[in-house]
Amino acid sequence: MPTPRLNKLIFLVYMLMTAGVFIAALASPAVRAVAYAPLRDLLLPPPRPIVVSVLYSTEKAAWLEEAVARFQATQPQVDGRPIAIQLARSGSREIYLAVLDGSAKPDIISPASTLQIHILQDLSAGQFGTPVVNAADRQTCRQVLRSPLVLVAWEERAQVLWGDQRAGDLWLQLQTALTDPGGWQKYGRPEWGYIKFGHTNPLKSNSGFQTILLMTYSYFGKTSGLTSADILGDEDYQAWFTAFEGAISRFGESTGTYMQEIVAYGPSMYDMVAVYEATAIEYMDRAVGRYGALRVYYPPATSMSDHPFCILQADWVTPEKARAAQMFLDYLTTPELQQLALLEHGFRPVEPGVPLEQPGSPFNRYAANGLRVDLPPEVETPPGDVLNTLLDFWARNIQR
Amino acid sequence: MLSRISRLLIVVLLLISALPACGYWPGTSKTVTITVVYGSEKKEWLEPLVAAYNAARRKTPDGAVIEVVATPMGSIEAAEAIVAGTLQPTVWSPASSLYIPVANAAWRSQHADDLVVGDPPKLVLSPVVIAIWKPMAEVLGWPDKPLGWADIAALATSPEGWGAYGYPEWGTFKLGHTHPDYSNSGLIAVIAEAYAGAGKQRGLTLQDLQSPEVRSFMLDVESSIIHYGISTGFFAERMFELGPSYLSAAVLYENLVVAQESKRLAGQSAQLPVVAIYPKEGTFWSDHPYAILNAPWVTAEQRAAAEDLLGYLLDRPQQLRALELGFRPADTDIPLGAPLDAQHGVDPTQPQTVLEIPPATVIAGVQALWREVKKPVDVIALLDVSGSMSGERIAAARTSLLEFINLLDDRDGLEIILFSDDLVTLTPLSPLGEKRQEVLRKVSGVVEGGNTRLYDAVYTAYQDMRERGNPAHIRAMIVLSDGEDTASEVQLPELLRTISNLSEGGTAPKIFTIAFGEDADREVLRKIAEATGGKQYDSDPKNLRQIYAEIATFF
Repeated sequence: MPTPRLNKLIFLVYMLMTAGVFIAALASPAVRAVAYAPLRDLLLPPPRPIVVSVLYSTEKAAWLEEAVARFQATQPQVDGRPIAIQLARSGSREIYLAVLDGSAKPDIISPASTLQIHILQDLSAGQFGTPVVNAADRQTCRQVLRSPLVLVAWEERAQVLWGDQRAGDLWLQLQTALTDPGGWQKYGRPEWGYIKFGHTNPLKSNSGFQTILLMTYSYFGKTSGLTSADILGDEDYQAWFTAFEGAISRFGESTGTYMQEIVAYGPSMYDMVAVYEATAIEYMDRAVGRYGALRVYYPPATSMSDHPFCILQADWVTPEKARAAQMFLDYLTTPELQQLALLEHGFRPVEPGVPLEQPGSPFNRYAANGLRVDLPPEVETPPGDVLNTLLDFWARNIQR
Repeated sequence: MLSRISRLLIVVLLLISALPACGYWPGTSKTVTITVVYGSEKKEWLEPLVAAYNAARRKTPDGAVIEVVATPMGSIEAAEAIVAGTLQPTVWSPASSLYIPVANAAWRSQHADDLVVGDPPKLVLSPVVIAIWKPMAEVLGWPDKPLGWADIAALATSPEGWGAYGYPEWGTFKLGHTHPDYSNSGLIAVIAEAYAGAGKQRGLTLQDLQSPEVRSFMLDVESSIIHYGISTGFFAERMFELGPSYLSAAVLYENLVVAQESKRLAGQSAQLPVVAIYPKEGTFWSDHPYAILNAPWVTAEQRAAAEDLLGYLLDRPQQLRALELGFRPADTDIPLGAPLDAQHGVDPTQPQTVLEIPPATVIAGVQALWREVKKPVDVIALLDVSGSMSGERIAAARTSLLEFINLLDDRDGLEIILFSDDLVTLTPLSPLGEKRQEVLRKVSGVVEGGNTRLYDAVYTAYQDMRERGNPAHIRAMIVLSDGEDTASEVQLPELLRTISNLSEGGTAPKIFTIAFGEDADREVLRKIAEATGGKQYDSDPKNLRQIYAEIATFF
């Protein structure tokens, strides 16, 4: 065979193979990677990404956005198709309500607390026959960050109210101070007006919900075994609770934006508020630039936000979406991301290999502002019907 | 052959790939326009930013180029127009969140949902303060002694005025705030008065408003008001332009004090220094919420464009610019520093406390009470009925005057003078309540003809006001003229000498002049208005109603 003809043949076979690869790549993204890159990008439509939508609660926004950017930078793929994470924010309660009424179809949900996962699990089982989440499945439903509820106050004012050594039950003391008509006058500071405390709307935001739960536990002097009869059958409690909540001028919509406003307006608007520890840490330095130092107080018993990330078991979560979602979940609990959550955003890691006390940790930096590593005991999460009783009581008697 | 095809192919491919880079791709030329109605006191910040934003031709996620049309407007005036549907903006950014619940309540009477849903983000912040000339503040004990609404009220109602403090040459204490039915700071001022009258800092109720103490307290404070006004920004301008004899103090926003002091320190204003008093009982924040309206006229595309504009306004460079102009940035990453300092008359560690925002029903109750206790007005309307007013002009003048009369209370005094060859007093200065129908009927029958005796008319009206006007009332004259003076006996210099009363301060009679149409003698009308601390307006038959309505906000 003369050489030119052989060349032509080789060229032809090569061209056919190339074309074959390109055609195959149209059908299967996995083959795409084999195709000649400059031509591939020019000729073939880019492979459709696998979009994983995440509906999450606002207060972890800064960490999660950074996490997504880092995850995308690793160019993650499933079957040759890139993974695209799409974030949407919402209040913790709105997250499960949106899933229930069908107005949102996310692949992953992440409310502030497993509390909401339990509620969704129960309600969806009733509504659809099978639950859309399974809180017990550690593979698809995972706690990723932790942060307890704290009271954060402008230091100058907390000093006047409580001095250096505050002792006794925080909520009981606060209720007494708030409901005293004399306000700050009683403490020799009439120019500070009435004492102003706030928390978010418990119907919309998890931290508000935790706050009224902790107040209620404190009133009854216990940390477990709260019943609906406690809430509905005790008039003294109801009067105490209604007076406490009646002293609050405005309930915030979400913890993050509420804290932002507190630091933006300063002590004229709020003397103290109940928020997550991580949220308080996030604003420590900013507060100094605006109106002065903040101080953190821990209630006698706390409630933890554990930020579960759960892959939904729903028909819109296709097998490849589920695989992509699982990769993202695994990435969030890597030491790198856990370290980032602690150092930059003040969350307590779930990864035991990442210690709270280490160079650069906010738990060292803000120890003088009342931040501490050891936590008071956690209260028991009451069953769903008791939680609903408390929310209903709030909605009927307090909401305005 | 093959090579020619492949060459062609390469060229075609290159061309196609180059198209998107050049921006020639179908769909990119689409434009989405959004309208923003905002409180006038952030105009200096917002207007240049909107121009820069438009120049940048930013796009929505769907690729439409965003165009923003932003208009300043009194916060409460805007709320009412939006609820009525006569104003249909994409975004409403009033001076404060105070009035949002009231607007929502009104909106809900015709719609299933709120007009403003949830808690809108805030653009910039500024506390409501009492702006006062520094020497006067010092006499009151500033900065060591905390001062409040009650101190201002006591001073305002003292017959000796500044004399009680050893400064009789400063005359009476003259207070100013804007009209609470149009402007946010005016509404805040009267709510603060109600709180001070009730001796409360929170929990103001409708019952409180019925108590004699609250009523008489508000009545007393309002008696020291020189006049009201349509917008806070405009009010600040007058105070800083006309000085301490015109106005001792006014309810303004902190940023307006900073802006004036920056001007003064830069040598652009020769006034005395001015300082901010943060009332010790508490105050309110002007927080400039950015509300994308939940209204049927706002499309999903406009919503996306409005979100993009919001992001731009909250970006660090724009927030830093706000600080330069004297606002407290909403972005908490930006520390409070210069010009928020003593050198600029303000104290960033203040205010120490706020008054609680009352519910919508109580806010409406305060507005109603204010209408009962507000200072009455004595007004003389002068109407040019010379021959040149024929046709559309005289018709517009009649209708506008009729509408203006309807804005006045029964307690207000009204006189109307028609001038052409003769001066005709259509009705003499007396309370409107007893003659309203008669006056309306007479105005409807006004016709034109003859010369223009402008100077004589103003001269006569001024004499009438001096003789028959009540000095405890707001006294004003409104002159509408469409031509030059052609037949007066009084000459201009003599007239100006007679009406010049700026030395008497803000309580002297004011003349507002309307130059109607192209031929009006704008220059003369401006001189007449300015001699009294009034204002001159340019007008035509189309906007005359609006101008009368704006003048009415002074009362």
